[in-house]
Amino acid sequence: MSEIYEKLSAAILEGDADKTPKLVNRGLKQGLTPKEVLDNGLIVGMDEVGVRFKRGDMFVPEVLMSADSMAAGMLILRPLLVESGAELLGKIVMGTVKGDLHDIGKNLVSMMCEGAGFEIVNLGFNVEPDVFINAIKEHQPAIVGMSAMLTTTMRAMGHTIKAIEEAGLRDTVKVFVGGAPVDREFADTIGADGYGSNAPGGAELAKQLVGAA
Amino acid sequence: MPADMAEQVTFMDYGLHRVPSKLTWAVQDAIDAVEHPSLIVLGYGLCGNGLKGINARQHTLLIPRTDDCIAILLGSYKKYIQEFDATPGTYYLTKGWLEAGSNPLQEYEEIKEKYGEKDATWIMDQQYQHYERLLFVAHNQADLDEYRPQAQEVAEYCQRWGYRYEEILGSDIYVRRLIEVAMAIDKTDSNFVVIPPSGEVTQNLFMR
Repeated sequence: MSEIYEKLSAAILEGDADKTPKLVNRGLKQGLTPKEVLDNGLIVGMDEVGVRFKRGDMFVPEVLMSADSMAAGMLILRPLLVESGAELLGKIVMGTVKGDLHDIGKNLVSMMCEGAGFEIVNLGFNVEPDVFINAIKEHQPAIVGMSAMLTTTMRAMGHTIKAIEEAGLRDTVKVFVGGAPVDREFADTIGADGYGSNAPGGAELAKQLVGAA
Repeated sequence: MPADMAEQVTFMDYGLHRVPSKLTWAVQDAIDAVEHPSLIVLGYGLCGNGLKGINARQHTLLIPRTDDCIAILLGSYKKYIQEFDATPGTYYLTKGWLEAGSNPLQEYEEIKEKYGEKDATWIMDQQYQHYERLLFVAHNQADLDEYRPQAQEVAEYCQRWGYRYEEILGSDIYVRRLIEVAMAIDKTDSNFVVIPPSGEVTQNLFMR
């Protein structure tokens, strides 16, 4: 059994988007549950990607290909997870803040959170505070996730939190932030509830924020 | 720049900011290599937090208070923010970056070697498809004319994402002020960060 897990996490690490779905299907055929395939195969692989990226042993192109492989696996697992009635942890409204067009990291965190059992409302990039506010009103998420890739744009996270406050919605959601230039100190300064330093960490944090970790 | 100052300039490698922690260590090493207590001018901005955590040791550090080199090249933080607000999705080109081969076209050529055309194209699309503009910042008209063909070659490649190509003349006023302040530190103002001996560079110092 552990062999298929090892092969799956290796396929994610190698960024092999052809092999990953085949291995997912093989695991399911062997009687593993979708959640087992996800938790012990795909996510283990992505965890390692996070570690290597941080260490400088993996670069953006490799991470992209790993994420794409994970997405290919999720395509099979997502409907099965929903069908199996796996516990839903709530909704997360996710977006890259105003002025910032980088969405690779945000999409990766979204995928990891989805794997952890959240429903994602993805607002895209260059998202105005008002768009966050309207999405909170419409979707009533448990969590709002914000991302920024530049020190020039990370201030917009603070502005967005303030706007959510002024709209009287701050108490209805937890806010977590992330992105290359963001650190815990900054997250504290702008009044975020949490900070994730990488995608798997982001999913862990989301679980903690809803008391599910 | 006065000759005695010019003699003491240390040039760092290009592109260290791509892995910001490498920039931190390289600059810290360079600071540590200065023996006597000195005023050290860092020709950097915060650079993706590449300068965060640097310790002045027994020296005083003088740093332009800007996110990155673009404000320095354009002449002011204000000008940078204007350009930024006008088109957030701007990819900046400079003479230095063209010479060092740091631009989307060069990057594509490099990853094509490694991953093949199809994957390389996909990787590039993932990273750059949302930008809207390629802006070549040149020091002066002569540089603009000399490097235009190279910049346009990059622009042609970036057409695949519909970037528009623009040119702008930068200004050396920020650098001139930096040298002035370096010669008389009491002339510093809100455009510079001064770190006293044993102080540490923090992100917060650069926030405006």
